[in-house]
Amino acid sequence: MRRRGALLRLHTALVFAFLYAPIAILVLFSFNETSQTAVWRGFTFEWYRKLLSDEIILGTVRNSLIVGAAATVIATVLGTLAALAMGRYRFRGEGLTRNLLYLPIIIPEIVVGAALVTFFGVAGLRLSLVTVVIAHVVFSISYVAIVVRARLSGFDRSLEEAALDLGARPVQTFFRVTLPLILPGVVAGALLVFTISIDDYVITSFVAGVGATTLPLQIYSMLKVGVTPEVNAVSTLLLATTVVLILFAQRLQQPPPERSEG
Amino acid sequence: MTGRAARVVLGAAAALVICLGAPSCGDRADSPPYPGPGEKRLNLYIWSEYLPQEVIDEFTRRTGIAVHYDLYDSNESVLEKLQSGVADYDLVVPSDYMVRILAYLKLLRPIDRARLPAFANLDPRFLNQDFDPGNRYSMPYVWGTTGYGYDRRRARGTPDSWAPLFDPANRGQILMLDDMRECFAVALKHLGHSLNSTDPKVLREAADLLKKQKPLVKTYNSGDYENILAAGDVWFAHGYNGQIAKVAAREPEKLGYVLPREGATIWMDSVCLPRGARNVESIYAFLNYVLDPEVDARIVNGISYASANVPARKFIKPEILNDPAVYPPDSALEKCEFIKDIGDATELMDEYWTEIKAQ
Repeated sequence: MRRRGALLRLHTALVFAFLYAPIAILVLFSFNETSQTAVWRGFTFEWYRKLLSDEIILGTVRNSLIVGAAATVIATVLGTLAALAMGRYRFRGEGLTRNLLYLPIIIPEIVVGAALVTFFGVAGLRLSLVTVVIAHVVFSISYVAIVVRARLSGFDRSLEEAALDLGARPVQTFFRVTLPLILPGVVAGALLVFTISIDDYVITSFVAGVGATTLPLQIYSMLKVGVTPEVNAVSTLLLATTVVLILFAQRLQQPPPERSEG
Repeated sequence: MTGRAARVVLGAAAALVICLGAPSCGDRADSPPYPGPGEKRLNLYIWSEYLPQEVIDEFTRRTGIAVHYDLYDSNESVLEKLQSGVADYDLVVPSDYMVRILAYLKLLRPIDRARLPAFANLDPRFLNQDFDPGNRYSMPYVWGTTGYGYDRRRARGTPDSWAPLFDPANRGQILMLDDMRECFAVALKHLGHSLNSTDPKVLREAADLLKKQKPLVKTYNSGDYENILAAGDVWFAHGYNGQIAKVAAREPEKLGYVLPREGATIWMDSVCLPRGARNVESIYAFLNYVLDPEVDARIVNGISYASANVPARKFIKPEILNDPAVYPPDSALEKCEFIKDIGDATELMDEYWTEIKAQ
């Protein structure tokens, strides 16, 4: 028995090493003193300093934040509304609507990107930061809808009925009773959207226009002329942001404790 | 707990949105991408590290034209953006073969030579190429060659021909570009033929040579070959001079670039106007600006790629002008050829290439 336990532990360690060693090396080399990518020469914050004074990269970070924030707000509102509608009403074509809503997650990104750029072409919409936001909203709504629906599954309708019975208007009921109860799900969905938006390369590369270079596009174009520690540094920051947001989102998605104060 | 955490996040998100919306908050390094009425501007779509920032800033200072640029990483990105019909770019810089495709698809706007007096600065050797006869749609920007990089500690002597790439002593230490025309060019040149040869017998001969070479090749790679070479994973890496020069500059005692004496491929990236370009005044102001010898020299000095601008040469740093990897001597250049459309022979080559890759 003990031997099997040891083997299992070794196997687990190897799997985790396989998954995370490249990322660990990337983070490590962002502190490398030399611009040589394969040799370790000593510890430095130089690349982070360089990064923070690089106006081009900061401009793309700004673009990424604008797109991330705008897409998050729009997709969260629309996705939450969709989840509420599907979670509580039975209507004709409900199954179809649900499947259509989840489809963007399943369709390969490259197809979504190509389809969107064709659509923008037909619609005569010039490619810009706006088209990037629209594209991100398109694939983000699904994620919000799924997360919020999961939260709604244990929702106690009698609380809303009580509010209505006591004279609250439907709008008041929504903002004072419904929304606070589903808020952790909504926020988890929003964080997820922000994370996905900040990371997205494939769809963005299709629909980005003048002045709409986002951070992932910038990193990719930098890679073509060689991996520099500056790329490693910016990737590390992107990674750290993403991990923090994901951890937060996961925590919010956990089933509410006995007495949630929400 | 979760409720409070959720509210904290919402608050932070709201703050972020407000911050991004307010003009005083966040960095303003970027010029705003959308012009106000009457504002002169120019939208560039260009390879990364192809245009030094100081050259752009100087243009804006001189003309008052705001330049906005986005970077791409492949010729196909240019094709995709121009095909969408809704990308607002005024200038793009595709490679030779992509110029042909873009022109064929009617995605380019002819260049009005009457508005470009400085066009005369360009070396006629680089004009009127097969991919754009008469330079109707393109103006040479930078050019280079496809040779190979090598590890000085591993090569015997100083190589000057394609021979080491076919030497069994280098088995498993050779990297070739994953590109049919470039690989055939190596074999054809090594055999003493034109790299645009269409003779089936010659092509068969070249294909047999590449087949014989395959067991010696560690990998076919067009993406990051220079890093594979720099890491020491191969001794010889077939590739474009610019990328090899970049890693060689970091370790000149270890890495070198060879433009083989048999001749090689010469490539060129050209400036083109998308059909839908709107800021026409700005475009010609910019083209005349980069054709200015001093400005062109500053570009070459900044990016270490050769330009076709003749009078610019006297302003180019000697260490760049005399670097045979950037500006090969005329004698070496004479043996080099652009890749041309070989018509029906492409099919035959395709067939052979499949044979080689499947072997």
